[in-house]
Amino acid sequence: MSHPGPTNEELELWLPTVALGVQRRSLLQLALMGAGLAASPSLLAQSGVPKRGGTLTIGADADPIGLDPVTLTAFSSYDFTAQLYTGLLRWNAEMKIEPDLATGYLAPNDTTYIFRLRQGVKFHNGQPFTAEDVKHTFDRIMDPASASPSAVLFASVKAVTVVEPFTVKFELKAPSATFLSYMATNPNGVIVPRGVVDLRTKPVGTGPFVFESYEPGQQFVLKANPNYYEDKQPYLDTLVFKFFKDQASLVSALRSKAIDMTWFKDPKVSAQIVKGSRELVSAPGKTSRTFPVWFNIKAKPLSDVRVRRALSLATDRKACLQTVLGSGAGKVGAMVPESQIGGYDGVSPLPYYKTDVAAAKKLLTEAGYAGGLDLGDYIVVAANALDVQCAQILQQQWAAAGIKVNLKPMETAPLIGLWLKGDYTIMSIALSWSPDPDAIVSRLLSTHSQGKGIGMADAQLDKMIEDARAILDVPKRAAAYQQIQKHVADQAYLLQIYQYPLRWEAWWSYVKGYVPLAANIRTFVRAAYISK
Amino acid sequence: MTDTRKPGRAAGRSLIALGLFMLLGMVVVTALGPWVAPFNPSATSPDSLAGPSAQHWLGTDSIGRDVLSRLIIGGRTTLLITFVAVAVALAGGVVLGLLSGYVGGLVDQLVMRALDVIFAFPVFLLAIAVVAALGPTVPNLILTIAVVYTPRLARVVRGPVLSVKRWDHVEAARSVGVGEFRIAVRHVLPLVVSPILVETSLVLAQTIFTVTALSFLGLGPPPPDPNWGGMLSEGRQFMELAPLTVIGPACAIVFATLTFIVLANGLRERLDVTGK
Amino acid sequence: MIRLALTRVAWMVPILLGVSVVAFLLMRALPGDFVQASAGTTELAPEALDTIRRSLGLDRPVWEQYLDWLARVLAGDFGTSFVTQRPVLDELLPRLLVTAELTFFAGLMALLLGAGSGLAAARLRGRVDWLVRTVNGILLAVPNFVFATLVVLLAGLYFPEVGIFNYTPFFTDPLGNIGSMLLPALSLALAVSVTISENTRAAVLEVSSQDFVMVARAKGLLPRTVLRNYLVRNALTPVITVTGLQLASLLGGSILIETIFTIPGMGQHLFESVTTRNYPVIQAIVLVAATIVLLVNVLVDIAYARVDARVRYD
Repeated sequence: MSHPGPTNEELELWLPTVALGVQRRSLLQLALMGAGLAASPSLLAQSGVPKRGGTLTIGADADPIGLDPVTLTAFSSYDFTAQLYTGLLRWNAEMKIEPDLATGYLAPNDTTYIFRLRQGVKFHNGQPFTAEDVKHTFDRIMDPASASPSAVLFASVKAVTVVEPFTVKFELKAPSATFLSYMATNPNGVIVPRGVVDLRTKPVGTGPFVFESYEPGQQFVLKANPNYYEDKQPYLDTLVFKFFKDQASLVSALRSKAIDMTWFKDPKVSAQIVKGSRELVSAPGKTSRTFPVWFNIKAKPLSDVRVRRALSLATDRKACLQTVLGSGAGKVGAMVPESQIGGYDGVSPLPYYKTDVAAAKKLLTEAGYAGGLDLGDYIVVAANALDVQCAQILQQQWAAAGIKVNLKPMETAPLIGLWLKGDYTIMSIALSWSPDPDAIVSRLLSTHSQGKGIGMADAQLDKMIEDARAILDVPKRAAAYQQIQKHVADQAYLLQIYQYPLRWEAWWSYVKGYVPLAANIRTFVRAAYISK
Repeated sequence: MTDTRKPGRAAGRSLIALGLFMLLGMVVVTALGPWVAPFNPSATSPDSLAGPSAQHWLGTDSIGRDVLSRLIIGGRTTLLITFVAVAVALAGGVVLGLLSGYVGGLVDQLVMRALDVIFAFPVFLLAIAVVAALGPTVPNLILTIAVVYTPRLARVVRGPVLSVKRWDHVEAARSVGVGEFRIAVRHVLPLVVSPILVETSLVLAQTIFTVTALSFLGLGPPPPDPNWGGMLSEGRQFMELAPLTVIGPACAIVFATLTFIVLANGLRERLDVTGK
Repeated sequence: MIRLALTRVAWMVPILLGVSVVAFLLMRALPGDFVQASAGTTELAPEALDTIRRSLGLDRPVWEQYLDWLARVLAGDFGTSFVTQRPVLDELLPRLLVTAELTFFAGLMALLLGAGSGLAAARLRGRVDWLVRTVNGILLAVPNFVFATLVVLLAGLYFPEVGIFNYTPFFTDPLGNIGSMLLPALSLALAVSVTISENTRAAVLEVSSQDFVMVARAKGLLPRTVLRNYLVRNALTPVITVTGLQLASLLGGSILIETIFTIPGMGQHLFESVTTRNYPVIQAIVLVAATIVLLVNVLVDIAYARVDARVRYD
């Protein structure tokens, strides 16, 4: 049998051992989905029967930097690892976790997870997939010599043990609500084969596509994996990524059908191109990141909460949203984007979110800056046009309240250096999508390197964050993050302006079956097909 | 029968006049910029990518800023950088060229080879590096451009100096006991003036190119200060929705370059300097 | 002349060394490094960052890094790219060829357009002459990237189905390749064609004048011989200079055009590599570009000396 789901006997065996809410829900999902993993994409595909064959050409705006999921750090590589590798779990189109290389799991207590693995899966080089590969992957991740970014995410993992050839046990140091999310995220939780050395340039995985060739700056070619375990997928024969340096050439390439699909950073560009033809489809994807304004609160004047609150009051978030993203492309934001657990919906009231320049001036006067205030450099990523635009608008809005900043767009490399050290007064740099809200808010912990750098020392907030990590009940956890966001907004430790999808995808209507994911990786290419 | 070698100093004069007129126009408009521009160039509005209207003569850009105002204020920065950078390059070039040509020998070789290093260095790499290392501020840009064009002007000065320094009356002056420095300034320098004038206007035209090209690549004065190259680059994304965001800066750049080329041509014909 | 050539070539070595040192220091003076640039906001333990740095050799003192690089270059090894982990030369050579192809086409177009229009202006006189001179004047004032942007704009507005950015490699599809290079080459060629045009025109006019023919006859020479020699010498000099200048500005002009038309050439490669702080690639490109520039300068000077015997060098 190609995909063994849990049998009825097994279900009966497992259900009573469930301890807490989320496991039960997940298990039910697993049970429902067990036999028909291919079900979800076809539910969403508009028209009929997928056609086999063909080549899909995607326009990419950045080359990958390394293809080994354990060691890579660059976001641009994610698009490629999403095709080449799979993990024990994955995200589905509604951003819920579903099984992938694992067929299900058992959680006898809240620090142990026992995964049942799919059998008969082969890596691209023919090697069979077993629990040993899972252990190997996590050994590599936890090894300091690998310098793996996933190590931080799986810090709660105490041990990974091979129980049987197709059963693997994970033991955590403490209950963690983030564990499953990270397992489901590509490339952090994907599995690499034992004994294969140079994955960086010769990737081998269990994903729907196999690496064929790569010419830097030109194209990246993948071929369908004939042994892919998901029934009938992928439908395409070949997947080609072509590289383009900027939005203007992506627009032209899409228009002239040199590429079939791409994504844009600027919603206005996406709107423009779709206007040009009825056969072009554009999907905004879910809001997945926010535009933050980070403060360094170690020293005056930003150490004074009144000054920070004044900045928040002087900011007109809706105007920023309107001008930079255009109508309908995003929402007002807080710490956690809407697509995450506990995400902010964009409309509920938050402290100091209502624009009030007079009140801002009053707070400044109270703080002793009646004649206005000069905060120095406001650093922003020069390469992100949207960021720079928003920063300019903010500069003007704050000026109306008497707060002066000097806009300083900076190259990414030096900016990151400053950011890591907390060596700035005000800086805007957006975080890339993270699988779990904990990754976002934990940066404000006074023990986190970033929190330390900017001078965070809020014991109450620390506790709220640490507690929220361990809440396994989803609604309770969501409520906890709402509280955290309220607290952060009240203290105005940083400003969040708006939330938006990282990319706006656009494709020709002959590409069917594709669903953009809030996780901003194109995993649904496996379900796409061409119908011309 | 047209003799093309001397179209007449008259033609040269009229070209110079035209060039100066254009130059004056540009300088006046941009100098008076803040008073002439209808809008604050950084003022954003929700009215983005609008076409030309009574309010916005050249329409607006992607975040609703008035294109005309940005062109005028952008011109200030662009022209300022151009003039100052070339002035610095000129000063440096003249000094080095005189020194090198006049003293000759090893000093000449060393100076020329050092300048060769700069000459060989890809302009943009130097600019990118300086700008990234020191920040894309106006003084840094001026410095970079001045450094890049100094070798050219030095060469232009050195050439005539080399030939002139052997002339009879210079020898005569020397034998009578006139100091080297005085000889350099009184006899050599005036002969160098003509080619320098021509070369300088050419360099000015080239500098407009370099400044706008650098800001096109993102290395110019940072936002919110407008500059022509940056406007051209930003406008590319929405070209088809609002062509004026591209046509506007394009025309401005062409006009400025044309001004200096007209001047250069006029000077060349007026001073009867044969091109290289 | 041989001595001239040898001296100049000999001087190339210290100059290239100087260039490489300046590039090395300049790049390391740039704030931020490759590790930071590629990691972005991905969370990494500081130890992890250091591990990566060590594996790239970035933790050693600068002079040590430079000498190490120099030693390897002299042995023919240009190192591996930080970004793709492939040998730098493997990536650089194809891009060099692409830029070379672009420049070659541009030069050819410039020559054809320039000589053609100059000849037409000189022979046909009148309106044609006026037209050519006016167009030349305007073209000279349009920077190549402005022209390229306007061309792309026009194509986008009126011919949206035509793929402007469809660069295809030569060996995959020769015709497609040439087609995709046409507009970029034209953008680069225009400014140069003006100079060639003006000089061709001047030379042809000169030679056509009656005085000239009279003098030639008086000297006992056949006008045709004189025409040939004169044309060759006077038209060739600026052509040589201009070709030389153009080749020398290979990198500068090509960065802009390659960026606008998304052609995978050396200029664009350089620009990206600086952004990602990909040191080995930057060093290699600077060295190659500087060598080309210097060689071209030497060749131009030699050709100059041959063509125009009046030029003397110290």
